[in-house]
Amino acid sequence: MRRDVTVTVADSHAGDIDEVAERLRRAGMRVDGALGALGVITGSVDVARLAALGELPGVAAVEQQTGFQIAPPDADVQ
Amino acid sequence: MSTDRRGEREPRTTGRSVVVLSDDVRGDRDAIAAALRSLPGVTSVVGAADYRAGGLDLDAPGRRRAIAFDTLGIAVVALDPVVLSASVGSAGAQRPPIVAVEPERVMYAIEAEPLPGVVPFADDEAFTWGLRATGADVADATGRGIRVAVLDTGMDLEHADFAGRAIASESFVAGAAARDGHGHGTHCIGTACGPAEPPSGRRYGVASEAEIFAGKVLSDAGSGSDASILAGVDWAITNGCGVISMSLGANVADVSTAYEAVGRRALEAGCLIVAAAGNNARRSAGDRGFVGRPANSPSIMAVAAVDADLRIAEFSAAANPVPGGQVDIAGPGVAVYSSWPMPRGNHTLSGTSMATPHVAGMAALWRQQTGATGQELWDVLVRAARELQLPADDAGAGLVQAPG
Repeated sequence: MRRDVTVTVADSHAGDIDEVAERLRRAGMRVDGALGALGVITGSVDVARLAALGELPGVAAVEQQTGFQIAPPDADVQ
Repeated sequence: MSTDRRGEREPRTTGRSVVVLSDDVRGDRDAIAAALRSLPGVTSVVGAADYRAGGLDLDAPGRRRAIAFDTLGIAVVALDPVVLSASVGSAGAQRPPIVAVEPERVMYAIEAEPLPGVVPFADDEAFTWGLRATGADVADATGRGIRVAVLDTGMDLEHADFAGRAIASESFVAGAAARDGHGHGTHCIGTACGPAEPPSGRRYGVASEAEIFAGKVLSDAGSGSDASILAGVDWAITNGCGVISMSLGANVADVSTAYEAVGRRALEAGCLIVAAAGNNARRSAGDRGFVGRPANSPSIMAVAAVDADLRIAEFSAAANPVPGGQVDIAGPGVAVYSSWPMPRGNHTLSGTSMATPHVAGMAALWRQQTGATGQELWDVLVRAARELQLPADDAGAGLVQAPG
């Protein structure tokens, strides 16, 4: 089973996001976005390989993605 | 205790009397009834239980009734207090169980009243109440030269109120263009960056000359995830936006490492991110809610909603005990008139989503006027906020204000 994940790149590797993304790919993550201005990488990974991502050099945190939902257009409170 | 706003014009008494009985007879139904029947003109005495049962008309013609509240030692008598006092005599001396006769007073429900010193705001022909309350109606700054990103459901790029404006748009939702098929994004952009002189109707936008960056990170059904939202933030920072407005949130109490890092790195890059505190409170039911993601990140400014009386909104989430989970500032967020996709054109909505773009627009004004960016801009906004008579965990530093 796959999970959408958000990986925070460590401050120490802020300039090496492509390198960190490549490391994540080799560890089994599908990288959807390597966001250079933020130092964040988004994508998905099989749950069995999720924990291992956090051990990679340059990775500060691996979190499951948060879902957001706003109210429908006809709701009074938005 | 509230003050009485009704002034002197309302009738204060009912023409009936309240009879106070001595402690000796309190709770003694028969003794109280006997004392009341001895009053001249009283023809019947009923108990509180009969009154509660309903259908009892104290002023029914032909009757001179008294209602006895036995356990209180009080009765209401359908006789004029002046007449009754005269017949009872001074201090009820001739009728020992009766201690005093007073006119029955008219009581009023305590209404929601403005706080002391607060003049309630209202939409008028020229401006929304929110622009009035924040001083945006008289501010010289316009946001010219400042790029403001609103990451939401996109924008109605054909809207008549935005004709001729510089608008950059981008969609981060797979398979969808930046066009707003919901309305939320168009409303928020209107508040942050709407024009100084809309073709029709009152003015509702704060930073009327800011450059608009409309990022679609939520689908037309209003949903989105980190992948699209963070891609939108990255786009905004890469394009030099000084302010990012995010009227979105999830009811998750703990802080996301990613959003915290993103907020901090944005500030370091000179960009301030403001986000809605959330609408998960139900204050009338005693539930004050909590600030959720991403506004609970210490590095992202959390915005609460107040109404035109400068009271906290029913739905506006209070501080969350996690570090960074505080409310930082408040904006106008109840009955907010702004733009809406054509053909409707305009719509009035409530929510912390509506308060947030007020703060974003104000941040653009301050940035233009002072040159402050990032954390310095954050500090300027907080220092300039109008203090409210509300707890800080509801409204933070207070109501956001435009530069004077």
